[in-house]
Amino acid sequence: MSLVKWTPRTTLNLRNEFDRLFDSFFNTEEEETSLAAFSPSVDIMEKEKEFLITAELPGIKKDDIKMNIRDNVLTVSGEKKQEKKTEKDNFHRTERVYGSFQRSFRLPDSADQENISAEFKDGVLSVTIPKLKESISKSIDIKIK
Amino acid sequence: MTITHWIPRSSLIDYQREIENLLDSFFGSGPEEETECAISPSVDIEELEKSYSINIELPGVNKKDVSINVNEDILSIEGEKKPGKDTNKYKYHRRERTYGKFHRSFRLPDIVDTNSIDAVFKNGVLNITVPKRKEDLSKNIEIKIK
Repeated sequence: MSLVKWTPRTTLNLRNEFDRLFDSFFNTEEEETSLAAFSPSVDIMEKEKEFLITAELPGIKKDDIKMNIRDNVLTVSGEKKQEKKTEKDNFHRTERVYGSFQRSFRLPDSADQENISAEFKDGVLSVTIPKLKESISKSIDIKIK
Repeated sequence: MTITHWIPRSSLIDYQREIENLLDSFFGSGPEEETECAISPSVDIEELEKSYSINIELPGVNKKDVSINVNEDILSIEGEKKPGKDTNKYKYHRRERTYGKFHRSFRLPDIVDTNSIDAVFKNGVLNITVPKRKEDLSKNIEIKIK
């Protein structure tokens, strides 16, 4: 028997493992397991002509959110800064989490990467990814002989 | 030996509350905070010189769906987080966000002015400012050492 190096899996890793198993569209990417302080919750939806990703980012300024696409992977990252009113650390309760965040999603082939739009409202980032026209109209009739 | 009625504790939140009641801390959870709520929003409470600043994370919640009230010394924030209007037209690939009712309540310290509480909703965070009473700010009691 040979010794195999044991690689510990964090919860995020486990999620990525599952994603890889199913190899779904929008599976989250490995780079997500970087040193991010938290992972915002997301909903990913689809309708006839578009995909929609909504991410919860309460208390974050629009300018502190970055979005980019590289090799078909859409990455949302940024930093959530704690707004202290005073220099003193006089907290009675601290349940909120601050720091850097990052989420990445592999885009499906039908995504029109040139026309992605995003809106930030009430602490929720909504990313609309239209589908390419040819992928919407692609309807193949199969004749039964 | 007598048989005593056993009261089961439904969750960790109950335990947390028990401990808070024991300590009787300022800004401990109020008694009526419901445990059945779908969401328990995260809260920071900071004490400033002239007020307390309470920040509650409520991303995607409509201002109209939140109510804040003070009953004696208990400040309650409750409401409902609803999914977006058109989301029923979509089919889901991933659903991590939670929707439903929420309720948080806090016991206010004696020194606050409950008539001048102010609230602002910005970027999905509800900020409630609870001012301290003026007379308490200036109250400076000197204690002589005999």
